[in-house]
Amino acid sequence: MTPNIAIVHISRPHHLGFHIWLPLFLLWIPLVLLSPLIFLIVLAVCIAGRVNVFCAIASFWELSCSLPGTHVHVRSEGKRVTVRIL
Amino acid sequence: MNENRRQILDMLAAGKINADEAERLLSALEQNPSNATSEFTGKTSGGATVKTRAKYLRVLVEADESMTGMKGQTTVNVRVPMQLLRAGVRLASLIPAQAHQQLDQALSQHGVPLTLSQIKPENLEELIDHLEDLTVDVNGNEGNATKVRVFCE
Repeated sequence: MTPNIAIVHISRPHHLGFHIWLPLFLLWIPLVLLSPLIFLIVLAVCIAGRVNVFCAIASFWELSCSLPGTHVHVRSEGKRVTVRIL
Repeated sequence: MNENRRQILDMLAAGKINADEAERLLSALEQNPSNATSEFTGKTSGGATVKTRAKYLRVLVEADESMTGMKGQTTVNVRVPMQLLRAGVRLASLIPAQAHQQLDQALSQHGVPLTLSQIKPENLEELIDHLEDLTVDVNGNEGNATKVRVFCE
């Protein structure tokens, strides 16, 4: 399953934190519109790097589909940053 | 033969499960082969513990001021799906062979004695299996409150 939403939470000491909800599913729209151009670029890069283009696309697709469930939380000097990919 | 079937047959050969239980597990596997994380749960009638596959790799770091140079304690908590690790290893297999040597040299120069050409998709599951049993606890010395934990859950 491709990632749908990324939630970013940033907070600082003595300040109100804020959440940012990034709708990653909306990235499909420019991806579909630019897909011919992206495919040509990927094809050129794969030919230059002597890499199978279909293996490369499959690997990146698998990487993208395995992102949901990623959770990163960093706290330092009272500041907190949390990134969750759903 | 995939890893799940191999695990069932190994348990049968070791006497941890009987033939009926092995047949039930194999049937469940055939019905839902894509769900490799839920069919191995609980204990069998023989008392053998069937291990569930870990879903996430967790890295926890707690470092104090002396380690980071920053005020207060620094905490890093990362949870990465195992599937992402598998995809990352497969991505590494795309690196052209001629680039492997240069990458290996660069890694060893930075203190990482890793040979990329040895990480292949066929030994990927074995690598992940060993990672599931890995727990690393690093505690700082000389009163240093730095802790690093790497484990699977």
